[in-house]
Amino acid sequence: MNWFVWRQHRKQFIAFGILLALFATLLIPTGINYWHQYQHALTTCAQNPNTPSCSDLTSSLFTSSADGFLRIAVVLGTFGLPILLGLFIGSPLIAKEYEEGTNKLAWTQSVSRRKWLTTKLLWALGFALLYGIALAILVSWWSRTLNAFASNRFVQGHFETQGLMPIAYSLFFTAIGFMTGAWFRKTLLSFAITFGVFVVCMTSFANWIRPQYMTPVTVTSQIGPGAIDTKIPDGAWILKRGDLVNKSGKEVSFDLPNFPAECQKLTQDIRVPNGGHIAKLKVSGIDPVDDCLNRYGFHQVAKYQPSYRYWDFQEIESGIYLGLTAITVAATYWLVLKRDA
Amino acid sequence: MGAAIQTKDLGKRYGSFWALENCSITVPEGSVSALVGPNGAGKSTLLKLLTGLSNASSGDSQVLGKAPAQHEEFLADIGYLAQEIPLYKSLNAADHIAMGKHLNKHWEDSFINQRLRELNIPLDRPIGKLSGGQRAQVALNLALAKKPKLLMLDEPVAALDPLARHDFLSSLAQAVADGGLTVVMSSHLLADLERVSDHVIVLASGKTQLCDDIEHVLKEHRLLVGPREHSKTLGDGVNVIHETHSARQSTLLVRLEKSAKVPSHWQKHEPNIEEIILAYMGQAKEGGSR
Repeated sequence: MNWFVWRQHRKQFIAFGILLALFATLLIPTGINYWHQYQHALTTCAQNPNTPSCSDLTSSLFTSSADGFLRIAVVLGTFGLPILLGLFIGSPLIAKEYEEGTNKLAWTQSVSRRKWLTTKLLWALGFALLYGIALAILVSWWSRTLNAFASNRFVQGHFETQGLMPIAYSLFFTAIGFMTGAWFRKTLLSFAITFGVFVVCMTSFANWIRPQYMTPVTVTSQIGPGAIDTKIPDGAWILKRGDLVNKSGKEVSFDLPNFPAECQKLTQDIRVPNGGHIAKLKVSGIDPVDDCLNRYGFHQVAKYQPSYRYWDFQEIESGIYLGLTAITVAATYWLVLKRDA
Repeated sequence: MGAAIQTKDLGKRYGSFWALENCSITVPEGSVSALVGPNGAGKSTLLKLLTGLSNASSGDSQVLGKAPAQHEEFLADIGYLAQEIPLYKSLNAADHIAMGKHLNKHWEDSFINQRLRELNIPLDRPIGKLSGGQRAQVALNLALAKKPKLLMLDEPVAALDPLARHDFLSSLAQAVADGGLTVVMSSHLLADLERVSDHVIVLASGKTQLCDDIEHVLKEHRLLVGPREHSKTLGDGVNVIHETHSARQSTLLVRLEKSAKVPSHWQKHEPNIEEIILAYMGQAKEGGSR
């Protein structure tokens, strides 16, 4: 059975091997180059701290348009290869057999349907696992330079491309591919649904699900320009910043109706005469109003996920995907073994 | 002689539609059975149930003494050729032979290589580039090379030209002549079936109309021709399967029980198997439309 799965799908496996090799030939030289440039800049700046570019390496290193394209290529590749596995290894794995009727040929050889399915799934998932590991190592290694510059590593485009996530995605989208293929028995339909699941997962996890894995840390400060920022450590994923907490501890937005009457009046008094909008107050943080709010016992509040939770988040999110993968695989067994050919 | 296939009230329902209902048949070991019936009669459904590809909704079946299953002990003894003759289009015949070798306990490697060479089928050309007749031969010989005790073929010759059909049936006849093989083959081509089979199963409207030895069927059935006014006067033990009437004359196809005596005003003819099968299919159709 192993020989046959290899014979049947070897073109796909080899094509994906070539894709990964191409991706590696892009990443390995640039990764080495980036690391050397960064180390060089650090050494230079240690020797001559007054060099103008040293004050802010972020805005002086890796800022050419070629660097921009490279970054986009890396993100696209790391997002793209796992979904391509789902589309080109997962979707046709079972759907194509149903479509062409070859399942009836395979299932009347002297191999039980369960063994046939298990062998196919093990090849697909085994390949996805190795592929995901290779991708994760490659991109995590490549990203070590840019990680030093990243404001935080939880956001979309950072979190998904490193650590455990490429492995989890490779397994999950491959499984979604073969499950929807076994369900609908149409490669194209399975293609479309797998891609839809990918889009939904990518938007929902980063925006709504990931922030909630652990209770965010809440900090408060007096009201004043930049006052809250000093309370937020470097590399934290800031979920909320700048709302008010009133005297009784209730969180309210930084909007005029939530101000005490006296402070409201104050904002009207200092309203810019030539029609400037009151919302400017938020940015400029004009002292009399801040002062007034402070006097009334108001605080500013911020919520964030600290950077040391990065690996907890990686484990939680990849764990969710692995759980979903297990359910998807179980569903595939049910769909293939319990339903008619 | 034992039964290669025995079913009792076998049924298959899709939603509220019964594709096959109360199907009770017995196929003797070593026979070549023709499975005939109009489109939608449940022939493919029956074969899929017997190969374990589908699960029955009701009733029982025993195939080679076992209930059809997805297990290798069951699958090792049966050969099946689905209606669309499925093969892997991008693989060649040699790949298919290697597949058979890897996926089967019994495998006659030299047999199939020799057969396909005799038929001048290129082993290294992708299946998608072979002719329909060549594909059917590859599929048939794949099924034969696993040395099945029971071979089930679902309209294998439907898409073939007359020459390819002839060659296919010759291959089949040769395999049967080698012995130890029971064959069930469905087809619309009654003349072809008559050539190779010795047992017949007629399915129509999802039900079994007839399941018997062809010799016995021929012996039991008579075509009666007589004046129309006598069409109601038949003796005991004469069962009308199908009747046609012209202004003066009635033609009845009847099955005679052993004790039956046909009144002498009827002329008796011996119908051929094709006429008998058509009569049974017609009876089911009229029954269905009433």
